Formats: sequence, structure tokens, C-alpha cells
Amino acid sequence: MIDPRPERARTAGATAVGTERVPLLQMHGIRKRFGDLQALDGVDLVVNEGEIHALVGENGAGKTTLMNVLYGLYRPDSGTIRYRGRDVRISGPRDAITLGIGMIHQHFMLVSPLTVAENVVLGDERGGPVLDDRAIEKRVRELEERFAIAVEPGARVEDIPLGLQQRVEILKVLYRGSDLLIFDEPTAVLTPQEVDELFAIVRTLRDEGKTLILITHKLREVMAVTDRVTVLRGGRNAGELVTKQTTPAAIARAMVGREMKQLKARATPPRTEVILDVRGLEALSDRGSPALRGIDFEIRSGEILGIAGVGGNGQSELAQCLLGLRKVAAGTIRIGGIDISRDDPKRTRARGVAYVPEDRRIEGLVLAFTVADDFILGKQDRPPYAMNGVLDPAAILKAGGRLAVEYDVRPPNPRAIVANLSGGNQQKVVLGRELSERPKLIVVSQPTRGLDIAATEYVHERLLEQRGQGAAILLVSSELDEIRALSDRIAVMFEGRIVAVLDAASATEERLGLLMAGHTEAAA
Amino acid sequence: MTVDQLIGAGVLAATLRLATPILLAALGGVVSERAGVVNIALEGCMLVGAFFGVVAADQSHSVVVALVAAMAVGAGLAAIHAVAAIHLRSDQIVSGMALNILALGLTSYLDYQFYGTTGTPSDLAGVPDIEIAPLAAVPFIGDVIAHQNAIVWAGLALVVLIQVFLFRTVPGLRLRAVGEHPRAAETVGIAVRQTRYWAVIASGMLAALGGAYLSLSVAHSFTDGMTGGRGFIGLAAMIFGRWTPVGALVASLIFGYGTALSFSLQGASIGDVRVPVQLLSTLPYVLTILAVAGFVGRSRPPAADGIPYETEGHA
Amino acid sequence: MPVASVVFALAIGAIFVLLSGHDPIAAYIDLFRGAFGSPYDITETLIQTIPLVLAGLAVAVAFRTGLFNIGAESQLLIGAVAAGAVGARFADLPGFVLFPMVLAAGIGAGAGWAAIAGYLKAARGVNEVITTIMQNYIVVFVMHWLLQNGPMTAPNALGTPASAPIGAGAVLPIIIPNELVPLTRLHAGIFLAIAAVVVFWFLLWRTPLGYELRAVGLGARAAAQAGIDPRTRTVIAMAIAGGFAGLAGMIQVTGVFHRVFDGFSSGYGFDAIAVALLGKNSPIGIALAALLFGAFARGGSIMQANAGVSAQLVSVIEAVVLFVIAAELIVRVLTARRERKPLEAIA
Repeated sequence: MIDPRPERARTAGATAVGTERVPLLQMHGIRKRFGDLQALDGVDLVVNEGEIHALVGENGAGKTTLMNVLYGLYRPDSGTIRYRGRDVRISGPRDAITLGIGMIHQHFMLVSPLTVAENVVLGDERGGPVLDDRAIEKRVRELEERFAIAVEPGARVEDIPLGLQQRVEILKVLYRGSDLLIFDEPTAVLTPQEVDELFAIVRTLRDEGKTLILITHKLREVMAVTDRVTVLRGGRNAGELVTKQTTPAAIARAMVGREMKQLKARATPPRTEVILDVRGLEALSDRGSPALRGIDFEIRSGEILGIAGVGGNGQSELAQCLLGLRKVAAGTIRIGGIDISRDDPKRTRARGVAYVPEDRRIEGLVLAFTVADDFILGKQDRPPYAMNGVLDPAAILKAGGRLAVEYDVRPPNPRAIVANLSGGNQQKVVLGRELSERPKLIVVSQPTRGLDIAATEYVHERLLEQRGQGAAILLVSSELDEIRALSDRIAVMFEGRIVAVLDAASATEERLGLLMAGHTEAAA
Repeated sequence: MTVDQLIGAGVLAATLRLATPILLAALGGVVSERAGVVNIALEGCMLVGAFFGVVAADQSHSVVVALVAAMAVGAGLAAIHAVAAIHLRSDQIVSGMALNILALGLTSYLDYQFYGTTGTPSDLAGVPDIEIAPLAAVPFIGDVIAHQNAIVWAGLALVVLIQVFLFRTVPGLRLRAVGEHPRAAETVGIAVRQTRYWAVIASGMLAALGGAYLSLSVAHSFTDGMTGGRGFIGLAAMIFGRWTPVGALVASLIFGYGTALSFSLQGASIGDVRVPVQLLSTLPYVLTILAVAGFVGRSRPPAADGIPYETEGHA
Repeated sequence: MPVASVVFALAIGAIFVLLSGHDPIAAYIDLFRGAFGSPYDITETLIQTIPLVLAGLAVAVAFRTGLFNIGAESQLLIGAVAAGAVGARFADLPGFVLFPMVLAAGIGAGAGWAAIAGYLKAARGVNEVITTIMQNYIVVFVMHWLLQNGPMTAPNALGTPASAPIGAGAVLPIIIPNELVPLTRLHAGIFLAIAAVVVFWFLLWRTPLGYELRAVGLGARAAAQAGIDPRTRTVIAMAIAGGFAGLAGMIQVTGVFHRVFDGFSSGYGFDAIAVALLGKNSPIGIALAALLFGAFARGGSIMQANAGVSAQLVSVIEAVVLFVIAAELIVRVLTARRERKPLEAIA
């Protein structure tokens, strides 16, 4: 594709170096270390002009680190970068932007109280020192029309939904005339339909002459829209593939290095007793808007109810209400027949409720504590940890050692500081604390976020084990695969309501996607 | 107790005078916290401004030199806080408090060393009052504003300047971005650290100006600890004023009025009961607590306020 | 690291001394000799140390719960006022009745006063730094009112604004006989201080409440979801902190001055912040740091008298210590607590 704009003087991919087509980007031998961790260990990446290139790998494989190096947020310990055939040094985002590299981050880099237009032009305002709102908005509108991306320039970012916020990120990058666009996990917060809209934009960008790198771990998307794939595993290259000539299974094998374990078929225990019964639950969000608008559901013993939905539709607030961490405005929550909706977390937990929160580092654990101390969080005033109002450190350590072994914490040292454990082991500490006392109801939120495959499998096995022992489990997750693999029934939340409850068998991805986006189904 | 004691021209004039040091500290707080740095060392910057303003006035006999010196030292103290908070990523409240204690100790130490027990000289060059002749004749209003000190007017001008700067200029936009979401600012190439350094240094200069006002315009001398917590009250005014210059002005006037009242009502009585003067002096501090307790829930500080920013691989 | 920061601060202090034309070596020798030169000096140092230890514990308990208690000074003063008032009002009661009353008054007043700041933080989210700083100034003016021709004022030989003396039953006895160390003022408060250190340790590391306070200080949200309400713990922590500081004030009244007078605290509450941080909020550390600052306080006044170097130099040294400690210590704490390590940015 030839770009008619004269400011980027180039011909279609050919440069002065002979007639051979030089790739747009060549990263070679990139190394980056953070303390003990070798995040990148001699990684290569080659991207051709005008292609949509996927950069895949599991969590922790090094994808975002590599792109942060490219964008100048990190400086590599060693390695070279060639852009348009010339060696370049990128020591900060300004250098990357000057070269024509732009990044659309996974966690949006938007300043909430500022408007869309202000966010787009921030850092490159092009005018005098005085802010000229109208001129800025005009420029943003022009961009929107050119690339068919619609957002309201005068709106404040904090007032627009996540899907639209992503478009602001894209506009930011286009405003600076970027030719190489990096998308970091762009579909994490989108419904399946919004993903399609995004890919339409992606294809339009490619047709306009842009080159795109997509960081993702979702293979379906890789197959749908990309041209070539680079796989990273453990900080190293694990494969370069051409999308049309490969399969999801082949990519997955390269990502994981082995065949993925199939979840064992589980026996369906007889479901009788209703453990959790929620009726008419209403609650407000932190901002004061209604977050839950009348939720009804029940979970029986030995059942996993998955809550599917794009983040921000009330799932977090639901979990918090169940635990007593958020005020219930109306409705009831009954555990074994007793209404706990006005109880504080201590009372609620005393009824046999366990909680695996979505942010283990801030909500789930006291990072500065030892493993043993985190195992007793919430139980510090009970025997055997405390007798007659006095703590018994020996008993705490002993219990900690036992639990660490039982829940496969590595290393199984009760005196270790939790902050120094890996994400997977930290989550195991949380599990050990929450699951070890045969809870009746387990509220689980994003349990495998940020975990590698082995840790994910471990978490799933323990949850299924609890299910087998008769616990009722509420599983909130933004990973549809996880929901579909573990749940007996799936409830879809949209804008604070449960719009449908499906049996796992009939919950196809398409049906779920429509429901998550708010499409109601005609009565069957 | 009379109406004149409550809202007479004298009380209102005093309100402006008393509000000024608080206002200057509050403006410093606004600038610094809008960029994301909690500058709890404003009290110390004020105090060193007060002291070194006196020293410079004594040595140079020039008001201009004195003010410049005061602001320079305030900037210097603030720079130390900036290094600790931005570069060393210390807890901003602890390092700020340390500087306050340092300022208190240092100024008292040097006061003793330079001026011994006799105290600062009485013939210091002072900042002049600005007489607005045409207004002076106007009843009531004239008494309130026609004889105010130059720095009082400077404070009011600074309110306008800083308000415009923050909300209608590009550098102000960038500064606010740095305070709300420093990583976002960095990804578009804004120098976060540099912006914060300048903001903190500016806040120190503003506070020091407030301190110099106390020593050179009001008291014409220096006494140990003469700022008396006005730096902290300034921070309260900033919170009360929702981190905007205009809001800080309103809050400072309210707090200034509280202090003015405590002077105006000295010796006054309600019926037979004497108004306890010293308890009246607690009024500004009590008002501050009430203000912060009553309103802090509704306004929120810049999102990244007080959180050290971690970059990696950058100078 | 704490030792290094003290040495560094002493060096900075030496520079100041040099710059003002005096001899730093002579000054520091005077400082040291004033603090430890003779048994009498040592007892004087200990007298300064006692309130510092207690005020340091007051700051440390709050720190451990994630709170900044800048108000140890006002909590100390209010404890002193309460103790002095009760001790004077009921002066004729026998010791075994009066002393517990005075003790309870001092601790209770400090605890109650600090709890206000704790409550405002818990219920209304008010930054306790601002509240406690304001409280410091309020108490100063209230004491002016009480002791300058006010309700608590009583005539006395010195002519300074002061209260009536407390009853003999409330006085802490001198514990070293005159024959051993003539004129010593070292009183039984030292035992109370030692007991307080033990209580501090026991509370934080051997009781469930102490565990809860530490959990709230290090991970308030995790503690909350586990059933430990940070709001109630905030109030409790501040009350305990105020109790320690109030005890310090009470000891100063019953052990040293036997009455309350205007301006009698030499800023122990502020030094306490440095003591707590230098001592890393732990019992032995606080005791040692308090001893160091007590030595500075005692030695400083001797140094001023002999070498002509202002005692305020000590404040400068202390502030530098505090500053250095704050910078490096908090960096380490933050590293353990940091939410966003570079590792989390890897995908």
C-alpha cells in the first residue's frame, strides 16, 4: 500500500538497500532483566510493512515487555532495533513517537477528568501556550472521519464507556501520525460484538497503510485477523508462523510447550439443598450510580454458577455485597435460610462463606506478612492460633507449614514473605486460607488472572474438588473459556441485571456474547 | 460584643491581611498537588522564607533582594522535598514533616547564632503598603482595601494567574495530567519528573513569599516558629477549596476571618461573661478540622496525588 | 542504616557549627559529656529519655496501623493537664487512691483526645495528619487559657504561669538515694516506661488485636475482606497511641515537675516521630533511639552553656536524621508493598 502523504517519504517497502524488501521492524537479541527475573532472553521479532502481526504467548512470556522496549518505556539490557532498515535507539516514548510507533495500551493511558479531545492531543498540542478547545476538537473530528472511528470529542473520558475509551486510545496514536501501531491485549474488556467492531477498525487501518502488532493470548482472534504470528515462551522465541498456514492447536502447542491438559469430565453430584438465595438485590457503585438493579438467583450445594459479563456490569459489586463489603440497598441474601444482607464480613464469613477476591495482591493478601500470617488472616482470634487472648506463634507456624505443603505453595516455607512469591503461589496461599475449612459458599472472582497454565490448572482442580465436596461456588470471570469449562449454569450480567441463566451445555460462545452485549433473547 | 466587632471594616481589612499567608501557602499546595506531590513541607518553606527574608533585608537593606532571597531559600527547601519525594520515592508525608522540623530547628538555631538573645533588628526594610488614593475616600470599602500591603495584592493576582495557568494553558494541562495519571503522561512523552520538580519548587517559592509577608510586612521581625501552623492551614484551605486557586482564596478568606474575629473580640463579653481570648485563638484550627471533616468527602484530590511515580530505565 | 544516618546527621551538624565559627569537636565533646559524663548526667539523660520512649511508642503504634500520629505532643500535654488537674484537686487523698486516679486521668485524656482524630479518619476519611497538627495548636492555646490567669492557675514562687502542685500521694518517688547520686531527679517513671515498652511488644506481636492492627497497617483492604474492620481498628490504634503519650505527660507531671506549667513540654512529641522512625517502630529500636535523643536533649543544653553553640543544633541534627531515615526506610517499605511491580507489567 502506498501512502500518499509526503511527510513519510518512502516507497512501498523498498529502501535503498538493494531491491530486497526490508522489513519495517527488526528486533534482534533483545534481553531484559528485572531483578531476579530474565523477562526477555535474546528475543527476535520481524514485522513486515502493511501486515497485521500477532505477538502471542502466555502471561509472563514477555510480550508486553518486548513492546514496552519498542515503545521506549523500558531500555533493553542488550539487543538491536532496526526500523526501516536503520539502527535506532529508542530511549523514551518521544523517540518512538517520532519514528512513527504508537501504542494502544491494555490499561488505557487516559486522564479521566480531561475530555476526549484533550486526551488525544496531550503532549502534542500544536498551538500556542493557550488552550484552544475549539481548534483541538476540530482536529479530532477530522481524524474521526478519516478513519471511521466515532467518539464525542467534548465528552470527559471518565463519562464514556470502556469500549469507546479504547477508540480514544487509537485516535491518540493516529493523531501523531503513527505508522506502526501496537495493540496490547485490546479485547480484554470487550464483548464479542465489540471485538468484531474493533477488528473492522483494524482492517481499515491496514488498508490505510498502517502496520499493526497485536499482543494477545486469544487464539481465535489471531486466526481471525492476523497475517503472521510470533510466539514467545518464557522470554524466548518459540515459533514464527504464517496464520493461513497454521492452526490454533499448533500455536497453543508453541505457547505452552506441551499439550494442554483436558479438564477431566466430572461426575454431576445430586443437587438438592439451596445454599445461597439472592432476591431483589440492589446496590450502588462507588460513584453513586446503581450497580445492581434487582438480582435474583440461587446456587445449590455442589454447583458452580458462573457469572459471565464484560467487566463493569456489576459483577464486582455483586461479590462485594455477598461478602458484606458493600452496603445492600434493597433485597435479601440468604445463606441456609438466614438473611445475611446486613452482616459485616466477619459475621458473613462465620456462616461459612469464603472469598477469593479478584485482586489478590491488594484484597487477598497482606503482602508484607509471612505465609503463615496470611494463612490466619481473619482467624487470628481463634484457637489454636490464639488461646485466652494471646497469640501462639508456634501453633501459627505449624499450621502454616502444613497448609503450605497441602496447597502446593512453593517454597513451602511458612516464614517466607508473601510478597516474594510468584503470582501462582500467592493465589495458592489465598486458596489455602479460604478453602481449608470446608466452606459452604465460595465467592471467586477472576481466580486465574495473571497466572500461568500450571497454576491455572491447579486453581481449577481445587475448585472442582470443593464442588465435589458439596460447596456452592459463585464464579465471576471475564475469561469465557474458564466460565464454560467450570460452570454448571451460567448467568450473564449486563448493566446490573442478570439477563439470562443458561445451562452450561446450551451456552454457546455466540449466545453468551450476544447476552453480554445486552441483546435480549426472544422467549424460547 | 458589637456588630462592628463582627463585620466592621476593621475586621474585614484584617481578614484580608490574615488570609494572605494562608492563601499563598494554599496556592503552593494547589500547584504541587495538582502535579501529584503532597508538599506538607510548606510550613517549613514559609518559615525559612520568613527568616531568610529578614536576614537578607538586614544585610542588603533592599526589599527586593529580601523577597528574592526568601523565595530562593523556600525553593531550595522545596527542592529537597522534591528530590526525596520524586527521585528517592520516599513517603511524601514523612519526608515533608522531616523538613518542617529541620526548618524549625535551623531557623531557631541560626536566629540564636546571628541575633542572640536580642532578637532581629528593628529597622528592617519592609514591604510597602499600597495606598489607593481614590478608593481611600470611599466609606467602608476604602477602609477595607485601600491600605493593603503589596503582597496582599500580589496574592490576589496570583490567584488569577494560577487559575488561568492550570485550566487554560497547555503547560497547565500537562501538569494536571501528570497529577492525575503520570504513566499516561509519560506515554505521550511528557517529562513527569521534571514537571513535578518545577511544581514543587514553585510551591516552595509561594509559601516562602507568604512567610516573608509575615516577617517583612506584618511583624517586621522574626521570632522562632512564627508561622504558627499557617502552612498547614493553607493545606486545609487547599482541600476545602477543592484544589483550585479560586477555591483556595475563598477558604483562606474564611479562615482569615476566623482569626480576625479572635482578635476583634478580645476583651469583649457576651453579657457578663468574658470571651476567653486564648480559646478564641483556637478558632482557625477548629474551623480547619471542621472544614476538612465536613467537606472532604465531596471533593477528591488529583488521582495520583501522594503516590510516588515509578519509572524504569529513564534518567 | 539507622546508624549511618545518625553519623551523617552529626557530620552535617558539624558543618553548621563550623560555619558559625565554633569548634565542632569541642561542641560534640560537650554534648557527650553533658549526656554521659557523670552518674548525675546519666540520670538526667534518662529523665529526658522516659517521655521520649513513651511518645515514640505513641507514634509507632499508629504507624504500625498505617496512621501518622503527628499529635503525640498534644496528647502528651493533655495527659499532663488531666493528671495535674486531678492530682491537685484531690491532693489530700492517700497515694494508693490518688496515684491510680492520676494515672487513669493522664492515660484516659491522651487516649480520648487522640481517638477524636482516629474517629474523624475512620468515619469521615479526614487525613489524620491535618487533624493531629491542628490539635497540637489547639492544646497549646487551651493551656494558655488554663494556666494564664485561668481556671487552673495557682500562685507559685517562680512567678511562671502554673497550676497548683499535685498531692504527695501522686508523686513518683526518686529511685536512687541521694548518697549514691546527689541531687538526682531520676524517678520511678522509668519503670513505667519499661513496662510500656513491654506492653507495646506484647500487644502488637502476642495479641489478636495487635495482629489486626498490623494487618490494617500493611494491607487494609485484605484485612477488611477478612473481617477486620479498618475503621474500628483506626480508632483503637489512635486511642492506644494517645494513651502512651498521655502517660508520658502524666509522668512528667508526677515525676519531674509535680505541677503543670505553661510551655513545659520541650517538643517531645515531635522528637517522637524521629524516635519511632529511627527505631523502626519496634520496641528495642525505639528504646535506643529515645536514649540517643534523650542524650541530645540533655547534652544540648550543656553544650549551649559551655560552647556557646545553640541547643537548637540538636534540632537540626534530629531533623537530618529523620529526613535520611524517612527517605531510605520508606523506600524499602514501599518496595514490599508496591502494587505494581515491573513483573506485573509483563504479559
